[in-house]
Amino acid sequence: MMKYADEEPTEDYLFKIVLIGDSAVGKSNLLARYARNEFYPNSKSTIGVEFQTQTMEIDGKEIKAQIWDTAGQERFRAVTSAYYRGAVGALVVYDISRRQTFENITRWLDELHAYSDMSVVTVLVGNKADLKDAREVSTEEGTALAEAQNLCFVETSALDSTNVQLAFQTLVKEIYNVLSRKVFFYQEQRPDGKLSNGKTVILQEKDVDSAGAPTRKY
Amino acid sequence: MFGAQTKHGEMSSHIWESQKKKPIWKGNSNVLRRNVMVRFSDLYSFTVEGSLEDANVFNEVRERVKEQGRVWWALEASKGAGWYLQPKISSMSEGIAVSSLSLTVLTNTIVLKRLIRKGIPPQLRPKVWLSVSGAAKKRSTVPDGYYEDLTKAVQGKVTAATRQIDHDLPRTFPSHPWLDTPDGHAALRRVLVGYSFRDSHVGYCQGLNYVAAVLLLVMKTEEDAFWMLAVLLENVLVNDCYTDNLSGCHVEQRVFRDLLMKKLPRIAAHLEHLEFDVSLVATEWFLCLFAKSLPSETTMRVWDVLFNEGAKVLFRVALAIFKMREDEILAAQHIGDVISILHNTTHHAFDPDALLK
Repeated sequence: MMKYADEEPTEDYLFKIVLIGDSAVGKSNLLARYARNEFYPNSKSTIGVEFQTQTMEIDGKEIKAQIWDTAGQERFRAVTSAYYRGAVGALVVYDISRRQTFENITRWLDELHAYSDMSVVTVLVGNKADLKDAREVSTEEGTALAEAQNLCFVETSALDSTNVQLAFQTLVKEIYNVLSRKVFFYQEQRPDGKLSNGKTVILQEKDVDSAGAPTRKY
Repeated sequence: MFGAQTKHGEMSSHIWESQKKKPIWKGNSNVLRRNVMVRFSDLYSFTVEGSLEDANVFNEVRERVKEQGRVWWALEASKGAGWYLQPKISSMSEGIAVSSLSLTVLTNTIVLKRLIRKGIPPQLRPKVWLSVSGAAKKRSTVPDGYYEDLTKAVQGKVTAATRQIDHDLPRTFPSHPWLDTPDGHAALRRVLVGYSFRDSHVGYCQGLNYVAAVLLLVMKTEEDAFWMLAVLLENVLVNDCYTDNLSGCHVEQRVFRDLLMKKLPRIAAHLEHLEFDVSLVATEWFLCLFAKSLPSETTMRVWDVLFNEGAKVLFRVALAIFKMREDEILAAQHIGDVISILHNTTHHAFDPDALLK
């Protein structure tokens, strides 16, 4: 990261964010709504990897959020280690009208932590909030789980757009904040040339390099 | 059966309309051919969006398909109807002494292999596929009515597999004029649910919905589609591609990784540098057998070879996709760029011969 510090301030950030959660909870539609403001009652079920890149500005810096989407069926979990690699953020999604998808959240979190850095910023998302009559998971339960796991929480509807922007923007901002703190910490440690906790700093450096790697503007 | 087979008339008129405006674009027609997007319906009634250039390639391919049809009819006239249904030598390792086979069988096997590589005419696909894949033989080992009995016996049963199938039915090629109708959903459901009970180790794996849907379109009857699905999973493909942890699919990825290193070392080295793992794209390719990635006629051409020669064609096609855009891949700086390049390549691969040469 630091080797980029002297370069022109045109550099921007690329954050890799993964969407995870059971099949048919609406991952692809959350992404379609956020990236293109579109919604398909029936979009093709995702098998491989799809992604969209969205740009936003924080503190005058251009942030590119590259959001990855993949299959949700359980047996696919074993082929997706490459999917998680380098992710700095995750939206863990369930369907408020299907309790099972909520109960599987802890397994998704385990998966996320097994394949990525513990510091990956995570937002818990209860999607399909428009299905009020079919609700099986209360907002309180969602909040409680998020608190217990120390996650942000939001209920969304990709269908009527409720909170979709909010979910993604909150995540990106939080990643940016975490990263800024780390970079700041790194700069503080740097001048004496000796790092009190080399291991930690190396990890942070790697964080910034692989995940938030600044990319040149075209 | 489906009433939604081919709509050549409609398709050609779409393209023709686009082309007749051509004179207006003179001057920078090359740019326009690449950038002007047209929509057309392909040989299996999928709506395709592509550039004018894609549409032109597509038209050429259609002509070639007709040409191939004439070759097959001519052979049918000289060799007799259904000559291709005779026994064939699928590999020398089967232990059949070549000398014991009649010269005709040997010649036919060679001729057929060459013909199939150039494409089976759409009208003959059901017959040829059933024969060369071994599906017809497989079916002949069970009593008549097996499929009907199976689908009746499993009616109304609810399992993890059927629940997942129900989620996926409307999400399998949405907006296809037959597949995305109540009839289409019902037929696809019977095939997938039936198979999930035939092999409970597989049950249902996402991806099979796309495979079975295309089989229905080609084979035209559910029963034939079912047997093609069975022969694919039980004989043609690597074992355990679709079972619980997709272990067969892992094996395929590993083989493909090695092949890439051997055949396209520069790409392999660059991908390693970017920390790009082939599973990011090849999972979908190998599980859907390209049905979700390639245009339908191109997919069919891959499957023609798949059923006659076996699963190794999947690697050949995957390698060809990487090779087609070697320079761009080598210039890519991010994993995301590589994925985009490959998605783009597959979606516009309207010329099957470019992939299968």
